[in-house]
Amino acid sequence: MAERKEIEITCRADTLDLMHPDIRPWPVTPPPPREEVDKVYARRKATDFGNWCEDNLRYELAFGKPEALQGMKFLCVGMWRMGNMFCGSLLCEAGAEVIKIEPPGGDPLRQLTPFGREEYMLESKVTGEKCGLDFLHEMRGQKSVTLNLETEEGRDIFRTMCSQVDGVIDEMPAGYMDGLGIGYRHISKLYPGLVWCNIAVRGTWGPYKDKTSKFGQWTLEPFGGCANAFIHNTGFPQDQLPRGRGGDPTRSGVWFADYVAGEQAANTLLAAIYWRDELGGTGQFCEVTGAESQMDILDFDISWYGFNASIKARTGAWDPNLNQYEWNPCRDGYMMIGGQTDRLWYRIGMCIERDFPQFGRLIHEDPILKEMGARNALEMLTKTYTLTTRWLRDINRIEAEQKLLEYEIAAGPVLFIDEVSEFPHFKYRPWVCTIDTDHYGTLLFSVPPNNYQMRTPHRVKVLGRPLGYDTYEVMMKYAGIGQTRVNELKEKGVI
Amino acid sequence: MAKDPRVCRLEELDGPKSKQELDEMKMPYEDYCRAAFAPGGEFSRPLSLKGIRWLSTTMYIFTPHSVSNLAELGAEVIKVEMPRMGDPMRHCAPFNETYLYPLHDTRPMTGTGMGYLNANPNEYHISMDYHLDEMKEAFYRLVKMSDGLTECYRPGTFDRWKQSYRYLIEMNPRFIYVWGGGFGYGPKVFGGSYDILGQAHAGLASVTGMHEFMGGHCTKHSNWCIDWYSGTQITFGILAAIHWRRKTGLGTMIEFSQVQAATRCLGYAAPLYGRFGIVRQRWGNWDTQLCVHGIILAGKSDYPDAINPQDRLDARYVMVSAFNDPDFKELCEVIKKPDLYSRYQKHKDRVEGEAQVEIYAALEEWAKDKSRADVVRILQGAGLLAEPVMNDREVYECDHYRLRGTIRWQDDPIFGDVLAMGSYGAGLMSKTPRRLYWIWRPVGADNVKIYHELLGYPTAKIEEWYSKAMI
Amino acid sequence: MCDIIWCKKMVDGKPCNTVNYLDPYCFWNWKGKVNCAECGTVYYIHMIQGHMYIGPEERPGEKPDTSPLYADKPLDGYSNYSPGVEGRTRPFECLPRHIYLGVPDMRKFSIRGRPLRGWRPQPPDGGIAGSYKFNWDLKRLSPEVWEEYQRMLRDGEVKDW
Repeated sequence: MAERKEIEITCRADTLDLMHPDIRPWPVTPPPPREEVDKVYARRKATDFGNWCEDNLRYELAFGKPEALQGMKFLCVGMWRMGNMFCGSLLCEAGAEVIKIEPPGGDPLRQLTPFGREEYMLESKVTGEKCGLDFLHEMRGQKSVTLNLETEEGRDIFRTMCSQVDGVIDEMPAGYMDGLGIGYRHISKLYPGLVWCNIAVRGTWGPYKDKTSKFGQWTLEPFGGCANAFIHNTGFPQDQLPRGRGGDPTRSGVWFADYVAGEQAANTLLAAIYWRDELGGTGQFCEVTGAESQMDILDFDISWYGFNASIKARTGAWDPNLNQYEWNPCRDGYMMIGGQTDRLWYRIGMCIERDFPQFGRLIHEDPILKEMGARNALEMLTKTYTLTTRWLRDINRIEAEQKLLEYEIAAGPVLFIDEVSEFPHFKYRPWVCTIDTDHYGTLLFSVPPNNYQMRTPHRVKVLGRPLGYDTYEVMMKYAGIGQTRVNELKEKGVI
Repeated sequence: MAKDPRVCRLEELDGPKSKQELDEMKMPYEDYCRAAFAPGGEFSRPLSLKGIRWLSTTMYIFTPHSVSNLAELGAEVIKVEMPRMGDPMRHCAPFNETYLYPLHDTRPMTGTGMGYLNANPNEYHISMDYHLDEMKEAFYRLVKMSDGLTECYRPGTFDRWKQSYRYLIEMNPRFIYVWGGGFGYGPKVFGGSYDILGQAHAGLASVTGMHEFMGGHCTKHSNWCIDWYSGTQITFGILAAIHWRRKTGLGTMIEFSQVQAATRCLGYAAPLYGRFGIVRQRWGNWDTQLCVHGIILAGKSDYPDAINPQDRLDARYVMVSAFNDPDFKELCEVIKKPDLYSRYQKHKDRVEGEAQVEIYAALEEWAKDKSRADVVRILQGAGLLAEPVMNDREVYECDHYRLRGTIRWQDDPIFGDVLAMGSYGAGLMSKTPRRLYWIWRPVGADNVKIYHELLGYPTAKIEEWYSKAMI
Repeated sequence: MCDIIWCKKMVDGKPCNTVNYLDPYCFWNWKGKVNCAECGTVYYIHMIQGHMYIGPEERPGEKPDTSPLYADKPLDGYSNYSPGVEGRTRPFECLPRHIYLGVPDMRKFSIRGRPLRGWRPQPPDGGIAGSYKFNWDLKRLSPEVWEEYQRMLRDGEVKDW
């Protein structure tokens, strides 16, 4: 029931509770009803197929279906970085059990929060402990255990725990675990079936491996993106915006290489386990780095250098390989338009010239623009996008999208997270969704794209975990250590 | 008889059992890794995914990459393309300059652009027009003999052609069927999708780029990183499904949206908005959660006389990371601003927005008269973490990747001397390493190998199909 | 006219008729003087959110602050000025090489001097139904490139990296 309240806002803190999901639930407006979506399927004569998809793939049906990696177990040691977190959460989403081993003080990532604002951290209702949202969001079922690997007893416990798992995810600094005598070469002697995957920024070995500062600070992302030319070639050219004020190499807004390394680590672990279990193999030692796994997906850039000594340059919001394929500013933000083939090229023209006839004339008459490859020349991108923006400056994103979609052009607005959360399709087939957690109440999280499967959809059942919450259970099950001994070891600082 | 304690067998003692093992345990970690991963020696070691066969009825980057990960891990992959035309990505080359030839003998003036690189390595390339009823049988033969397929067509298309999952499950219950596309079931189900759409639509663009007050705009990641990154996430789904199938013998259908994958990697943006209504914005080259941890502009380029403008003009950026208290203190001393340290001693204070503006301005003021190399040298000399932002040439020349084998020259069977920057770099494995055989093949290069040698069709039939452009 | 300046200045009795493209990110919020690439007329503009709030106003005798990146002439078959033409268009320097081709680069060798199949046309080498084998018989198919490669080997122009 709606209630009228008078609120005085004098600082940011006063606003924080007004948007609480219990007061302003997600979604704010309901998703389109099934009948409306059925019409969409029917328009393309795909009603049967649409029904099959909805019957077999719907998000709501996922809970209760079997889990693909049920029974698989992993240990995870890592701090500060997202690589081990993302690898662990992918495995948990697929049904594996992942035990995250943290030092008694906890993973420092728990303490990170945007602009250091503690008011954005969430407090556990059960333990009262605060946790930053980045950590919380990527703690999707991993169990939290504290263990001090710097003590001999801690290492003994670690060794014992290794006997219970299929794999170990190691995102500690270069040579750290090895130096303590609990690296792969030590543990594999005890348990030859163990698969071990290092995750690093540039590497745990090699001339340019990860460094630690004189004062003990670790190498974190985006050092990986600096070392593989990803950052060098992203951003606006100094010819479009002034250098130092936008015309610079730009890093990603997220620690992107960490995510790439994390998912390749998960793939590497599963491939190694497949070889071990299906093909009669053994455990093995693996390493995935942010710099290299991101270089693996750097299109063709380094190979282009090998072709004719080209060094890929920044192109801002445009793409040097395709036209149209960009976003440009519009009346209320930025609008992305994509369409490289002739068919789409002319359809874009037909759409825009309804409102702006000059576009059709200047673009379609131009002999240079008639050939698909020639449209990628820099001059042609300049001309095309100048005229496109001339059209875009007068319309909003939603208008532009509707007009372009009428011509079946892949177009989309640049959306912010609040708009993403309320976009009709993203509510119907949830892109983000709420989860009711025991520790932190109702939370909005990004749904795994692997959540839409017929038989073993991946899913999120848990978000966030206070530090060491599972220590007692895990110590008993994985190391045979009862609560009394656990308490003693806690006193000694081993746990 | 009691065991004579003087008799002792080496095998019964703890510790290494041979000199080789002893050496292995004693050698520095660096050497151990190098020996374990043995770059260059991949081909004497087995394949992780030996025995898996996958069909790649895909286009562009996103869905092909989900399969190319399997090919690098040793699965046998068959790429299916439209006759004579091939994958549309073949026609994509940066600035129209970089093509390798031939694409197909009947089109001698058309090459395959570098845009096609890394998406279809190690794959057998066949051509097939599966619009046509006559090709249905061949398609079904492939399905019955494979473990799965990945496709990217508009939803309903394969269904109309009677090759969607509900048809294929009948002929091969072990089959794993993957659809990758923009949106999946729902109101925008038929929406086309590109990497750039993923960046824009899913919120990644909204958090990348220089802040508005700095004069910046939402910036596109230059590379098609969402295509690739979501493709790898599909591979994860495929591998998990393969594991489950070992237990149950059942395949499955996976519907994967790449635009959604971009929202998945947004970190705290979703929970921050969900709980507090706060919408995350861009923050340029700095970090929203750590200070100092960002990229600064040095006054001079490292290569002022270079002929390539990327070297000459843009070798000026340094990543500086000194967010822990002692590191930050040292940094302030190096740039001769001890007052900055005394005002921002606590990390919580210096990571606030206004503080970052002041601190990075001071850093860039200090770096104004120095080259990139100067800045790196001075900061590293003080024991801090600082590294240059490297370009493609510097990456090529970096010993680290050569030693680790993640950049190497490839003797491609058809195209000659190509620089490989992927496949090996996706991850090192000591016993079953990834490897690269070839970058790609001409359209229909393996028509005989697959249609005749695998599926059993007589060569006369294949020639007939080919003459009618059905393959 | 906004985002483009269609210059109609009378020059030698005829209108200039050159379209000067003011590219979106640079000029989205910008004020200052821009020249016409063809006739050099200096215009003052004040662009806000892509709209020409003021201008184009002629400023005879003044110097431009910048130039358009590209300009063409629709009424004479789209002859044009590319970026970097002195006095007409401003340079674009953020390029991958010092040369910009815009058309396929016919490469016969990689940067380390070994044969690379980067030129057209290639002599056909396919079998039944377009089948290809697993080797490139350079010596047979393109003997002149093979000879060139042998010379490079002799002269030490082929490197490991």
